[in-house]
This record gives sequence, structure tokens and C-alpha cells, in this order.
Amino acid sequence: MYKKSVRRRRAVLALLVALSIALLTAYFRESASGGLHAVQRGFMEALAPLQEGATRALKPARDFGGWVGDVFDAKSENKKLRREVERLRSQLVATQTAARDRGELKTLADFNQSSLFPDGYDHVTARVIGRSPTVWYSTITVDKGSSSGLHLNQPVVTGDGLIGRVSTLSPHAAQITLITDHTSAVSAQVVPDGATGLVKPRVGDPSDLLLDFVEKGRSVPKGTTVVTSGWRSSRLESLFPRGIPIGEVTRVDSKERELYQRVHLKPFADLRQMDVVEILIPSGGGGSSSAAERAQTIP
Amino acid sequence: MRLSALVVLTVVLQLAVVSEIPLLGTNADLAPLLVLSVGLLGGPVAGAAIGFSTGLLVDMSLVQTLGLSSLLLIAIGYLAGRYGEVGDRTHALIPPIAGAVGTFLYTVAFSISQFLLGVDSAVSPLLIRDIFAQAALNGLLAIAVYPVVRRVLRPCLVEYFVPRRRSATTALRTTSS
Repeated sequence: MYKKSVRRRRAVLALLVALSIALLTAYFRESASGGLHAVQRGFMEALAPLQEGATRALKPARDFGGWVGDVFDAKSENKKLRREVERLRSQLVATQTAARDRGELKTLADFNQSSLFPDGYDHVTARVIGRSPTVWYSTITVDKGSSSGLHLNQPVVTGDGLIGRVSTLSPHAAQITLITDHTSAVSAQVVPDGATGLVKPRVGDPSDLLLDFVEKGRSVPKGTTVVTSGWRSSRLESLFPRGIPIGEVTRVDSKERELYQRVHLKPFADLRQMDVVEILIPSGGGGSSSAAERAQTIP
Repeated sequence: MRLSALVVLTVVLQLAVVSEIPLLGTNADLAPLLVLSVGLLGGPVAGAAIGFSTGLLVDMSLVQTLGLSSLLLIAIGYLAGRYGEVGDRTHALIPPIAGAVGTFLYTVAFSISQFLLGVDSAVSPLLIRDIFAQAALNGLLAIAVYPVVRRVLRPCLVEYFVPRRRSATTALRTTSS
């Protein structure tokens, strides 16, 4: 009886493992338009309303959690202020939520009206409804999809700067791959010096990006700004329009034996705390999105 | 039915709430905690099955590499189930220790898998800090998650009545001697 039970248990385990490996293999072998990817997109679409509802309903709990996190980081201050904070907690949560939303929207509005907003683009504002819990997949899910005019690979910004691109789409939701995701790469330029390179993430540290392939000998002073370089050729164009701020230079690694120097950046956008984002769409509908889709492997 | 609801609720809560709350510089991850709890309470087969379905749901909803989380969570659920059978799962320290160790193994295995599947980017040493911080955070969170899972699953668990029968037998033996 015991042996039979052990045999059955092992059979179930083997079946589940085999199923997982089969899924893994099939997923790797198929293209992005394959069946499993389509099922994933469908699932994301089905889950989006549930996720959106939960995000809205549980926002006070999340803000409360965020508040707890902040307090955890500031223990000493917390002790002095605890009594007062408890009295004001509920009022504070509501006020902070509104202020945060207003602040983010105001920053976005300022960005839209500034000279930094790329010419020839409109924007769609979207709310963040989900976030990947692992540092390997730096993605967020937003509540707007193809029905709002979004296309694959369109750039996504906050009022502070570039945060990523649209990587998966369903009619009413989209997944944004952040610039801190290990698959991300953005062609960029240091201003005003003009040194160019490729911004790549350092997995595990969202506050540190690397501007790689910068020619040795080019001066890249600490504190200078790095923006998207936005190049265009006869057949291809960059996914990101020129001039969107990415981050600020914090230090430069230059080893004698290497051909290039590596520049470390601190991104302008707070990639862990975003509630509202903007997707940049080419003016005149999705016309040029096909160009973006053609160039989807070109950073 | 309860298990399915629990899995869906956990994944939605994870995506909509828990991932949005940074603590100790990282986020808690409810998926391995749910799988560990079910494994400890329901045995290796239940643990592995819930590991598979939770992993599948996580991969589907986050548009990650399909099957990877499932594979790792099957192992976590099965190992937790085996421990639940042979070890003392009633000790108060088991949930936090299992939560921390299980999460640590899961995140390390996940990172190794990512390396094996190919990573183009540089990896910061802070990733190691993140792994330890998430394990510690999940260890603390397991103190709350484990009783909730036990409460939800209590009517479904046949094994739940086993300790009571054993203690009755022990009591009889004591009386007769």
C-alpha cells in the first residue's frame, strides 16, 4: 500500500516536471506570435479587469503598506512621531494618495508642455495596475491597451524621463518592459558633450544604469545628463525619439585594457514608485508604429 | 475549489498590492509562501500540484518564460511536503524558517535559471542583497501566511485529523499502563 502510494506520488511529480519542461521548451522554440505567447496575452487581457479592480480597491492598503515601508526605513524618526502619526494616519493616507496622484499628473503635464516632449508625438496617459515582483523581469502592467491606440515598442515615460517601452499588448492592458529589465537596451547620448553609447541595466540595482560602449577619451563629467539619441536611417529608426531624459552620470569606469569606458547613470524616473505613466504615440495614429514594430530589435 | 481560489487570490494580491510595497529594499513574494504552506500542510503531491499551477499563473500573468516558475515551485512544494511528512511541522518556528529557506532556494534557483537561459546585461552585486532581503521578508511574512492557508484548507485536509488520532492512541496507552 505504501509502495503504491510512493509510486503514485512519483508519477504525479514526474508528470508535472515533464509538463513544465515541455512548456519551457515549447515557449523558447516558438516566436512571439506563437500559440503560447497568444495564450499569455489572452490571459493578461482576462486578468487585467480583476487586477485593475484589486489595484483600485486595495490602493489604501498599498499606500498604508508603503507608509509602513517608509516608516521602517526611518525608525528613529518614527519613534518620535508615532503618536501623532497614528492620530493622523487615516487622514494622511487619503491626503498623500491624492497629492501623489496630483504630483505625478502635474509632472507629466509639465513634461508634455516642455521642450523635452518629442515633436511628432502624442501621448496616452495610463495607470499602473501591476508590477513584477522579481528583479529579473522589470515590468509593469498598465490599464490601457491596443484599443487606446497603443502599439508594440512605443516609448513610455513619466514626468521625470524615460522608463521603458510597450512589450506586450492586449486590447485593454499592456505590459511595459522597464529600462532596468535585463533585455532592455537604449541608444543614448551625453549632453552637451555628445558622447554616445548604449544604456543597459545592472540587474538587481534599479538605481544604477550603465552607458556602455562610450569611446575612450570622450569626456563624460559627473552630473551631466544622458538622453535618448533617437537615430534614423533609410530603413530603420530607433524605438525612442531623440532627447528624452534618461538619467544623470554618477561615475565613470575606465580600464586601460578596455576599448570603451563604462558610464554609470542614476535614472531620473523613480522606477519602483510609479502610479501614472505616459505612452508616446506618433501623431496621426499608429502610422509610424509599423516602423517601430519593424525595428523592434533595434534599441 | 478553495485551493484554486487561493492560488488566484494570491497571484492577484501579489501583482496588485504586495509588489507595490517595497520593504527592506525589496518586495515580498507570496507565491513560494503559498506553495510552501500547502506543501507542509497537504503533503508532497499537493505541494507539487499547487507549485505547478501557481507557477503557471505567475508566468502567464507576468508574461514571463512559461514553465520556469512552475518547475521551480514544483520542487519547492514537493520538498516542503516531504519535510511535512518526516519532520515536525507543528513547531512554531517551522513556518518562518521554511518561508525564509524556501524563498531563498527559489530566488537563487530562479537567478541561476536566468543565467542558464542567457543574460546579456551586467548583474549588480546588490542582487545578492535582494535575495537575502526577500528571504528574510518572506520568513517574517510566513508567520501570517501559514495560519491563513491552514485555516482556508482545514476542511480539505484529510491529514489534519491524523495527529488527533495519534494523541488519542497515546492517551489510551498511558491509561492502560
